[in-house]
Amino acid sequence: MDSNNKKYWKGLEELNPTPAFEALQKREFAEDLPIEEILSGKAVESTVMPRRDFLKSLGFSVGAVALAACNTTPVTKAVPYLIKPEEITPGIPNYYTSASKDGYSILVKTREGRPIKIEGNPNCPVAHGGVDAAGQASVIDLYDSTKLQGPLLKGNESSWEEVDEFVKKELAKVSASGKKVVILSSTINSPSTNAVIADFIKAYPTAKQVTYEPVSYSGIINANKNSFDKAVLPSYKFENAEVIVSFGADFLGTWISPVEFTRAYVSNRNAKKLKKTKKMSRHIQFETELSLTGSNADVRIPVKPSQNGLAILGLYNNIAKLAGAQTFSASTPEFAGNIISKTANELWANKGKSLVVAGSNDVSVQILVNAINELLGNYGSTIDLDNVSLQNKGNDAEMIELVNEMNRGEVGAIFIYGVNPSYSYPKAADFSAAMKKVSLKVSFNERADETSKLADVIAPDHHFLEAWNDAEPKLGTFIIAQPTINHIYDTRAAQKGLLVWANNPIEYVDYIKNVWNTTIFPQVGVAALQDSWDNALRAGFVQAAPKTAQQYTHARELTQSVVSTILAGSKVDAGKLELTVYKHTNIGDGRGANNPLLQENPDPVSKVTWDNYIAIAPATAKEMGINEGDVLEVASTTYSTTLPVLIQPGQALGTASIALGYGRTDAGKCGNGVGKNAYPFVSIVNGTMQNYSSVTVKPNGDSYELAQTQTHHSIEGRDIVRETTLAEYAKNPAAGSQSHHEIANVAQRNAKGEEERYKEGNVKLFNIWEDKEKKGHHWGMAIDLNACTGCGSCIVSCSIENNVAVVGRDEVRRRREMHWLRIDRYYAEVEKGTEGYVEGAVEVIHQPMLCQHCDHAPCETVCPVLATMHSSEGLNQMAYNRCFGTRYCANNCPYKVRRFNWFNYADNEDFDYYMNNPMGKLVLNPDVTVRTRGVMEKCSMCVQRIQAGKLKAKMENRQLVDGDIKTACQQSCPANAIVFGDINDPASEVSKLLKNERTFYVLEELNVQPGIGYLTMVRNKEKAAHGHGEHAESHS
Amino acid sequence: MHESIIRKPLVTGTPDMHTITEDVCRPLENPPSKAWWIGFSLAFAGFVLWLVSFGYTTWVGLGVWGLNKTVGWAWDITNFVWWVGIGHAGTLISAVLLLFRQNWRNSINRSAEAMTIFAVICAATYIIAHMGRPWLAYWAFPLPNQFGSLWVNFNSPLIWDVFAISTYFSVSCLFWFIGLLPDIATVRDRATGTRKQVYSFLSLGWTSSARSWIRFETVSLVLSGLSTPLVLSVHTIVSFDFATSVIPGWHTTIFPPYFVAGAIFSGFAMVQTLLLVARKVLKLEDYITIYHIELMNIVILVTGSIVGVAYLTELFMAWYSGVEYEQYAFLNRVSGPYWWAYWTMMTCNVISPQMMWVKKLRTSIIFTFIISIVVNIGMWFERFVIIVTSLHRDYLPSSWAMFYPTKVDVSLFIGSIGLFFTLFLLFIRFLPSVAMAEVKLLLKHSSEEAKSKLKKHNHVAEPTVEGGKVIIATTATIKKGESNEQ
Repeated sequence: MDSNNKKYWKGLEELNPTPAFEALQKREFAEDLPIEEILSGKAVESTVMPRRDFLKSLGFSVGAVALAACNTTPVTKAVPYLIKPEEITPGIPNYYTSASKDGYSILVKTREGRPIKIEGNPNCPVAHGGVDAAGQASVIDLYDSTKLQGPLLKGNESSWEEVDEFVKKELAKVSASGKKVVILSSTINSPSTNAVIADFIKAYPTAKQVTYEPVSYSGIINANKNSFDKAVLPSYKFENAEVIVSFGADFLGTWISPVEFTRAYVSNRNAKKLKKTKKMSRHIQFETELSLTGSNADVRIPVKPSQNGLAILGLYNNIAKLAGAQTFSASTPEFAGNIISKTANELWANKGKSLVVAGSNDVSVQILVNAINELLGNYGSTIDLDNVSLQNKGNDAEMIELVNEMNRGEVGAIFIYGVNPSYSYPKAADFSAAMKKVSLKVSFNERADETSKLADVIAPDHHFLEAWNDAEPKLGTFIIAQPTINHIYDTRAAQKGLLVWANNPIEYVDYIKNVWNTTIFPQVGVAALQDSWDNALRAGFVQAAPKTAQQYTHARELTQSVVSTILAGSKVDAGKLELTVYKHTNIGDGRGANNPLLQENPDPVSKVTWDNYIAIAPATAKEMGINEGDVLEVASTTYSTTLPVLIQPGQALGTASIALGYGRTDAGKCGNGVGKNAYPFVSIVNGTMQNYSSVTVKPNGDSYELAQTQTHHSIEGRDIVRETTLAEYAKNPAAGSQSHHEIANVAQRNAKGEEERYKEGNVKLFNIWEDKEKKGHHWGMAIDLNACTGCGSCIVSCSIENNVAVVGRDEVRRRREMHWLRIDRYYAEVEKGTEGYVEGAVEVIHQPMLCQHCDHAPCETVCPVLATMHSSEGLNQMAYNRCFGTRYCANNCPYKVRRFNWFNYADNEDFDYYMNNPMGKLVLNPDVTVRTRGVMEKCSMCVQRIQAGKLKAKMENRQLVDGDIKTACQQSCPANAIVFGDINDPASEVSKLLKNERTFYVLEELNVQPGIGYLTMVRNKEKAAHGHGEHAESHS
Repeated sequence: MHESIIRKPLVTGTPDMHTITEDVCRPLENPPSKAWWIGFSLAFAGFVLWLVSFGYTTWVGLGVWGLNKTVGWAWDITNFVWWVGIGHAGTLISAVLLLFRQNWRNSINRSAEAMTIFAVICAATYIIAHMGRPWLAYWAFPLPNQFGSLWVNFNSPLIWDVFAISTYFSVSCLFWFIGLLPDIATVRDRATGTRKQVYSFLSLGWTSSARSWIRFETVSLVLSGLSTPLVLSVHTIVSFDFATSVIPGWHTTIFPPYFVAGAIFSGFAMVQTLLLVARKVLKLEDYITIYHIELMNIVILVTGSIVGVAYLTELFMAWYSGVEYEQYAFLNRVSGPYWWAYWTMMTCNVISPQMMWVKKLRTSIIFTFIISIVVNIGMWFERFVIIVTSLHRDYLPSSWAMFYPTKVDVSLFIGSIGLFFTLFLLFIRFLPSVAMAEVKLLLKHSSEEAKSKLKKHNHVAEPTVEGGKVIIATTATIKKGESNEQ
């Protein structure tokens, strides 16, 4: 290379180097550094500052700092409304009607324009004021700062104009090619949205809608088509059923419409019903995993999934025999002696007043269930095929077919609306691969979730609290949803998008009004006037006169093929464990995964938070040498994953169960990587997705600690929860709560003085308290253990109302969850020889536990600084400002309901949930202090609501009326199990309930005089396991 | 005053007044020994650990400890009670034994009182540390304030604690300091330069005049009178924290006597631990003799037996009460998840002191040292058992939980031991660790030399009580010149 020989020089010295120059060049510094000097300390000495100089610079620095400090700190002013909106008064909440995600009518509480709480609309014809945990928690999703803040085009931030242009252009191409356009949505029961979709389909004739639900009821819908030529999901009337038999349908937790069913179910079992009729419904549950519903059953039989169909067949044969109908020869199992034939007799005795439901998604099973209900004459009374449910329209066959179509390249455009099949479809990888063959992929989801991240365009939809919408959960019942806040991020209603792309750029709200004026108001018989619209907004719903439910008879006979399908479905893979997967009560099908309140709300039965797990019965685990906390490798033929074990009493022997909805990878920061995905264990059988498969499990040697809020599961024979049977109750309404009456008698005799006391033995209640006269209001509560199902909605409601912090998995493991209200759940083994005894069968009892507001509160006497004291209205109050955190009160609380702020949970990056970012904090209730660290807190009986209620009555110049004030837990309870009120008012509901014979107080023998009474649980069975003073097996 | 020659001498060897001064002042006036430096480095490292863990807890929050919603107190209050208990021996020795004229206390009371003060300081740190918002600790005092008529809750045993501990601390400090005056003056008179200035200031101008001595004696007596009820009251009140609660295992009327006995038991054990080392390192074997050790071992034996009886009584009462919660609480202690803590407690506190019945063992220095450590381990576990095993499983099984200490819990405990020894080692370096004046008092009649002289001269012991009057033994009987080396 020639160029290398060329030499440039910087100066003549370099061209003609002298030895001195060369030596100099090797040195980094031309002049010697005074290293020696520095090391010898001379330099240091020379830098010593003379005293005067020191004083000068000191003076300057102090002066400068002082001057700088004189600068006023920036004052952030809360700017008052310059022009005050008419309806907003700072400090006064406004309530707006709207519709929940599930299509119930709700009331949204807003403060200064911010929605902060969701309450049920007491007039809602479906939910009657109940809201489930997911509904309660959904308000914090509104302020989730990790959602998309604007549309994404090809993964980049974009504008709505660009997005519209792109989508229209691509749609035109697809339309021209004649390929299909698919709107893949979850169940849409909004009449207006459906009309928008219909318009869209009109504009793009190759378009079609596919409704996909990860947990669908295709089996029931298809079975009804088969049996009655009506492809519908019926309405179930649990309130009319005297005998309820459920085969794996978790109707109080997750099945179709749990809030509605809870209200209906409980109405036949609660205090009111018992007091009036001394009767209650009887509920027999056959199931694999111990579900919330199973935990409430009178008799619960653990059944393997393979036996489920056969058990139904057995029941059918028994009833058919009684009815003289056709029977099928097959060997069917019996449980607990003769429970199937006994159940058949009971059902037969309650013809027309019974209900048989099954959770199976198998068409044949559901046809058989239809046949049973028909023989029992339940159509028209407990099953309504006329006012049908539109709450779940998931169609498995269409979805399966869609994946095939996409794979064949027939689909040119897909619009993802509220579904996430790349996560929840059993063959998610197939779906994702098929997505690649679709040229235009648009998602309306709130974030780049598992499916949306494959899309070309994400056009984020509003949160439901920001959007106009409507819903028709039941045929003829129309719920209206109005926005309660302007959209926070640059989102747009999905309907608006579809309208724009169909070249019909009308505002969606106008579209809705149009739909209501033209179709809905005429249906319900109201004139299409502005007045009607205003009234609908105010009420939240309109309703057409319900049709009379008809009796139905089968359109076609039961065939042997139904039975042979069931028989085929009951084959077992030898050597494998039968596995069921189920929708989780809190997380649902995975949609709630990013909601920290739902993640921390304990599973109603296992009390596990922040994880799913593989549940295995104690006996099975012992047999397999598996211990609690082992991590198992769970493998089906197509999928394997690792999950920690939970030893679950009541789980059917030889089976395992895993909750769905966990293991999200793109749910958001709270939901990512929580638990493991169980959808791949869903099997597609006979054209529907079914929730069982067989798996092999083996420990992989690891161990994992699940975060449980309760780790001791036996009541240890203590008299804390009381239970009796219906027969005992009918004989003596005070059965089970005798000890309360004994104590009450002693107290009464005591009050009458010495003489009276000696009459029946000298039992004396010793009281060193100065009892104050209970003047004015005296707040109290009654909790009906027969009504409470343990669903946990109250926990979330309480947490939102009272700004209760989410603490995360590790803190729950350390037993530091902050919930003011918890639901204690105890197991007891069913005694051998009693009704419903099979190996491993358990009975469960739920007991909401919160501050008992004792009149002789042990916490109050021990606080050194009077930070907790009694109000004149019987409340045990906390003055957070005064508390310096000795925790003596919590130690001395026999109920252990006090919660300590171990850390600062707000504004702390270690608790990255919602209280640490400006957006998330908008959901905090301004009426309740956010507690700092080092302070004790506990249930206040929603003292802010009590104050608000009293003020309102005062403003209106009237007496406070019973029911004016409802605590958050009471308001949300779908079962109306919690009743709050003034004990001093003899006419109040709570006073009446507390006078009920069933009432007892927990630990009343300590004479702490709790303010919350519980009503004994009554089980409609021959013998209850949680009887008075009986000892139960411990599982610690 | 004379003492029977049959009684064992309280001072061995042949020291005279001057050698006592020399012996006691030696550690103050010479550079510390290697042993002192090693001990001090270790203790100071512990103190630094305490600073770090205390600071960390205060900065981050109590969540760094292992407490939870069910167990709201664990190592914090365990350590608090443990330290307060240890302090009790000092007061017993200095006050009660003074009133009972037990002269053997003279050579050990100084160190024992110092131990009391340092132990109470350690205990007080836990009062502060266990608070959620320790910067508001002053709210525990009934101070006039701007918060309106906000007052403390005089019903709360914690407020009783505040009074009990603060009274105890101030009286102990006062008693100790007053007792130190003549000895500080002795050191002052021997010192030069800055040391002299400092000791002059501390000696409050002690002149050693007869009048000073008389007042000194009066004040000592008054203060011992004041301190004596404190020996009983402080731990009684500490026990009320538990006894007045509703928690099974806490709600027990036996607690006051049982806690006081336990406190003296553990306090004497701690005195043994400290003095056995100090007498060796500071070469004070002549003043702290085997006889002293034996006497203290007897106290340990007696109080240990009381504690043992109390444990058994608790078990009996739990059974006899018929209360299922109470019965379970004790069943759980004995056989629950913390059974090992209970049985450690039983072994250390009930079985080990019983060996003191054997004279050979109670006069063995090594055995005494081992037992003194064992007793304090046992007494720590006693408090742990009472606090944690009662709380972790109380009424509602749904809330039952386990307590596991964290690194911070452990560091804070080790740190507090560091704090204690740092203070104690500074004490023996800068203040006379044996009460010179009071030991000199013994020289005439209770020393080995005096007794052998008596024997030699064939003197018959004279009664100590003359004419039915108790002679108040005063150090004033020592002539001025003897005590102050002038």
